[in-house]
Amino acid sequence: MKNGGSMSEITRLIAEPASAVICLFLVWFMIKPYRLTGDTRFLGLPLGFGFMAISHIIAATVAISKEVSWFMLLFRTFSFVFIATTYFFSEMSSKKTQYLWNISISALIVVLIGLSLVVVVAPQSVWENDAGAQIYSRIFMEIFLCYIIVHSIRNHIEKPDPTTIWIPFGFIFLALSQYSFLLFYIDNSFAAFWGAIVFRFVGLIVFLVVAYQTFYRSKECE
Amino acid sequence: MKKLLRRDKLKIYGDLLAVLYDEAKNGKIVITRVMLRSNMPFGRLKLYISELNGLGLIEDETSLQLTEKGKEYLKEYKKVLNFIKRMGIKYR
Repeated sequence: MKNGGSMSEITRLIAEPASAVICLFLVWFMIKPYRLTGDTRFLGLPLGFGFMAISHIIAATVAISKEVSWFMLLFRTFSFVFIATTYFFSEMSSKKTQYLWNISISALIVVLIGLSLVVVVAPQSVWENDAGAQIYSRIFMEIFLCYIIVHSIRNHIEKPDPTTIWIPFGFIFLALSQYSFLLFYIDNSFAAFWGAIVFRFVGLIVFLVVAYQTFYRSKECE
Repeated sequence: MKKLLRRDKLKIYGDLLAVLYDEAKNGKIVITRVMLRSNMPFGRLKLYISELNGLGLIEDETSLQLTEKGKEYLKEYKKVLNFIKRMGIKYR
């Protein structure tokens, strides 16, 4: 389909690299809490956005090799898992979670490597079911995104502050993006595809603006 | 009774520097006020002050004034705390 082909090309050439660049900028901001506090619970943020950047870079190369789309899904799914893990462990005190966190991160990385090896070593088990994988992965991502959204909104409600409402909106836009992709893979909707791209950019830009304002524009920290 | 959670060391350093910076605006820093505001016993406070001095974040253990390095650390610490808060993450 000509429209679908050009749609895919535009996404690959422009949207995916642009998303990767924004995610890499976000990694630079997200690593600051870990660098300053030394608290490994905050590693989930740079890891999450780092894996997200990698998934966008992979998505940009998917026209070269269709098989890499599986890696794109893996990295993108795990990006939200890592971010959600940070929110999950933030409820506990640092000393208690240090051990649990190290185990969780190690387990997640092992699972990611294991799944990647399955894709490489036993490709016949996965190649034929690309659409299904897209759908199930998006659903999985939505679950983690919903957890993150609920967690961040709950924190905002506990201590209402106009500065803390923006990040939940950022995650809501990312969730809407994944939902739109889900609709696209189910019924091939042109509007859903472009909606997904737009929602993704809006979400990522919300994070970027909040991070920039906090570290470069905030006067309350002077 | 709600159990108070223990603070991480770096958070203690940051909170203590914030108290010292704030107290410095009143002129002379009074150790008793610092102790009350930082909510720690005198012995432990002296220990942390000694550590801050060793790290070059305060000028000396008598005046308790922040060095430029201490002020930069405190500024960055507040920015990071603000960022963590905006991300909707609790930091204890």
